[in-house]
Amino acid sequence: MSTRDRDRLPLMQGTLDVLILRILIFGPQHGQGIARAIKESSDHELLVEHGALYPALQRLEEKGWIAAKWGTSSNNRKARFYSLTRTGRERLVRESTKWRRLAAAMSRVLGPETEPR
Amino acid sequence: MISFFRRHRSREDFASEIEAHLDLEVDRLVADGWSRDRARQEALRAFGNVALARERFYEKSRWVWLEQAAQDLRYAWRTLRQSPSFFATTVLTLMVGIGVTTVAFTVFNAYVLRPYAVRTPSSLYQISWRSPTSGGVGFRWRDYLELNDRRDLFDDVVAETSRFVSSDGQPLAAVLVSGNYFEALGPRILLGRAFTAADDDAVVVISHQAWRRQFASAPDVIGKEIALNGRHFTIVGVLRPEFTGLGGFPQDLWVPLSVYAPIADPDLIGPQQARTLELVARIREGVSPDQVKARLSSFIQHAVEAPTGEQPQAFIEPATRNSLSLQMLAVLSPVFAAFVLVLVTACANVSNVMLARGVSRQREIAMRLSLGASRGRVVRQLFTEGLLISLFAGLGAVAFASVALRAMVAAFFGTLPPAVAGILRLVPLDLDYRVFVFTMTASMTATVMFALIPALQASRLSLIDNVRGTGASMRHGSKLRHALVIGQVAVSLILVTLAVTLARNGAAVGSIDLGYQSAGVISINVRGNQDDLIRHLVPVLAADPRVAEVAATGGNPLFIRTRSVAAAPGEGSPARPVRYTFVAPEYFSILRVPIVQGRGFRTDEARLAASVAIVSSATAKTYWPGVDPIGKTIRIERAEGRPVDELPGYTQLTVIGTAPDVVSGLVVDGADPGHIYLPITADDPHATAALVRGRTPRDLDPQTLQTIFGRVAKDPQVFEALPLDEMRDLQIYPLRAASWVGFLLGALALGLSVSGLYGVLIYTVNQRTREIGIRVALGATGTAVVRLIVSQSARLAAIGAGIGLVAAGGSLKALSSVVQLQTISLLDATAFAAGVVLVVGAAALAAYQPARRATRIDPSQALRADV
Repeated sequence: MSTRDRDRLPLMQGTLDVLILRILIFGPQHGQGIARAIKESSDHELLVEHGALYPALQRLEEKGWIAAKWGTSSNNRKARFYSLTRTGRERLVRESTKWRRLAAAMSRVLGPETEPR
Repeated sequence: MISFFRRHRSREDFASEIEAHLDLEVDRLVADGWSRDRARQEALRAFGNVALARERFYEKSRWVWLEQAAQDLRYAWRTLRQSPSFFATTVLTLMVGIGVTTVAFTVFNAYVLRPYAVRTPSSLYQISWRSPTSGGVGFRWRDYLELNDRRDLFDDVVAETSRFVSSDGQPLAAVLVSGNYFEALGPRILLGRAFTAADDDAVVVISHQAWRRQFASAPDVIGKEIALNGRHFTIVGVLRPEFTGLGGFPQDLWVPLSVYAPIADPDLIGPQQARTLELVARIREGVSPDQVKARLSSFIQHAVEAPTGEQPQAFIEPATRNSLSLQMLAVLSPVFAAFVLVLVTACANVSNVMLARGVSRQREIAMRLSLGASRGRVVRQLFTEGLLISLFAGLGAVAFASVALRAMVAAFFGTLPPAVAGILRLVPLDLDYRVFVFTMTASMTATVMFALIPALQASRLSLIDNVRGTGASMRHGSKLRHALVIGQVAVSLILVTLAVTLARNGAAVGSIDLGYQSAGVISINVRGNQDDLIRHLVPVLAADPRVAEVAATGGNPLFIRTRSVAAAPGEGSPARPVRYTFVAPEYFSILRVPIVQGRGFRTDEARLAASVAIVSSATAKTYWPGVDPIGKTIRIERAEGRPVDELPGYTQLTVIGTAPDVVSGLVVDGADPGHIYLPITADDPHATAALVRGRTPRDLDPQTLQTIFGRVAKDPQVFEALPLDEMRDLQIYPLRAASWVGFLLGALALGLSVSGLYGVLIYTVNQRTREIGIRVALGATGTAVVRLIVSQSARLAAIGAGIGLVAAGGSLKALSSVVQLQTISLLDATAFAAGVVLVVGAAALAAYQPARRATRIDPSQALRADV
């Protein structure tokens, strides 16, 4: 791994699913797009190993939270596009509430930043 | 919905998605200013392990389970092929265990579970009647005709009555049926056709069994003639094996009642119609049995003869042959338990072998675990091996059961008294799908018991323990193995003790002195309700030159038809129930029973049915102890709520003689506690049976008797002739048969425990090779080494025998409190001793070879061996 990657945060167990669902709320997207979107919307803080993304997508698809269809990307490449299903949307609402509460609680416990990075 | 329509993705689809991802990423990086080559490298780096991602996807797919199962199966097959002796031992052991259980289940299935092979058996009901003190199933032909017209209640009503008919002197079980019988019931036909109501020729449909037995399964049997009571009937059809009639007794042939009736005795459809027809109705859909009962009340009033002043009521019950009741299960469960015990012993053996194998395979398993196999996968692998074994064992068990059943049926008919074997029919003991499912389930269950548990045991090991080849788990394993062997020894002791007890009782009962000479005497009873035929038969027999002696009786000895009456010795003393039998004066001489005191009956006393009596010695002793009974009087009381019979016309009897005590009821009950004989002749209404003795034993063979009977009745088979000796054998037969079965099961269990014990000892010797080597090197003698092995064997056998003795003693004691028979002793010290001796012998036998092997251990080699 390059030094650049080493500074990033590895994903905690169970967070990837929520992130994928969140990204898909803006419309259908293929795997590579999802990976890039996670990276960009987290200000390059989160590290997603692309290889781990696909089993996760597969899992979500099997749970029926997302649906997939082969299509063509903007630069005319064949890609598998994922979109949010209704159950996926409900799931996202529930999960993101949970995560927000967790994050808020965590930051309350940890208090204001004492040490500058 | 989504999941319903979702198609499973192929691996190719997944791979192309990854490929698409890489292409997109490369495009993106190139757009950011990377060179194509570096962009490709970076995309791959960011992706991580492509192979792992594919692997993960693959493991998620549903086919992987199947693929792994196939792998496991292939691997299991290879493993088992590599150790053929292990494979053969386990498969054969289980085959015997499950096969034995399958035999028991097949019989149970044939008699209890199998439904009628007719159309919609659940809508068939038998019609009978009951009144407060009486009841019956017999109706007249005209009653049948009336009911068969009741289309408001029934789809069909069939009438049937069964009897034995003579076919060239041989008894055949025949059913006389109404013409609509086959159309109404719909059993399936194998050859030819069934007869219909339109058939008024002498036609007959035969059963599959009869076709096999009488015609050797000849395909051209249709159109052949068969003689029934001297008349010729044409065979028009053969039924498929699964239909054997509506009763529990399998029938040989079916003839139209309308054709047979004129030659029957009495005529069933003529002016004098006997109430002998049984009616089975198919109730219309939507009509309940209760409705039928209510709407048949007026029919029953005029159709049957109830005792005066009583209102007969219709009784409608399902015409199913055997209903499975809790009571029946309670009776059958101990029998089944004996069979299951053998299976348990077999399973214990296999479990033992499996455990030993699991221990010896610990290193292999450890290797697989350390190479990354999951524990679940290892367990599944071992489980697959067990499943494979159980598959072979199950198939083998079915084959075993089929052979064993055939042998058992042959042995059964071969050992039965010939006169009984001739009229006895068994329902077909087929291995149908129910048996197959049972066997396979038993086999699989056994797998879980004997394969999965050792499998878990083996994989529970920690890696380090395994690679070292020692550990706590092994000690635990040997404890379990010892427990299994102890259990086996206990089970075989129980079975052997039971078998010896039964056999000894059978022999004891067989040697009981009946008190009369039964050899050469043939008992004749009348089937059905035509007892008055005796009055015609006795003179014909007496006139026949081949007959030496004949005596009419009111019930023959050994036929369990003796009755009791309340009798008291003179005035003032209380009446007690005592057995009585009406006998002709010749009775005592034909049975070679001497008159001890006084005299026998005179002919005129018999003709007048005089109020004189001959009493048994026991009765004389209880009534008049120490006093000459001749000339004393016996007071006969009216039965008032006592379990005794009325004896109308008799109030006082004068004792004219005494006879020795004899066995007149069940042989197991021993000699009668008391008996009163009253004189009759064959003309008396009390004469319902006869005894006959030929000039030589061979004079009155069944064929000859049939000819003589044919002179008296149109249906010679209305008389049932059975030599007294065979009746005695028949009474003891269940005891003998049970002891044979017990011996077989006991021998199997004993054999299994010997091999189980042997396995444990050999294993110990192998495990302790090094220790024994050290002992020998330090100067231990051969005797000491032998003692080491033998003491282990003896300890296991002794604990097992102890448990077995307690269990056998306890259960037999419980049983003996239920079965209270004088001649049966269930707590038989000899039987227990025999069981112990056998088990000790088995333990010694099992220890012999391992002990020899132990003495041959070469210390120098044992010490160098890598343990």
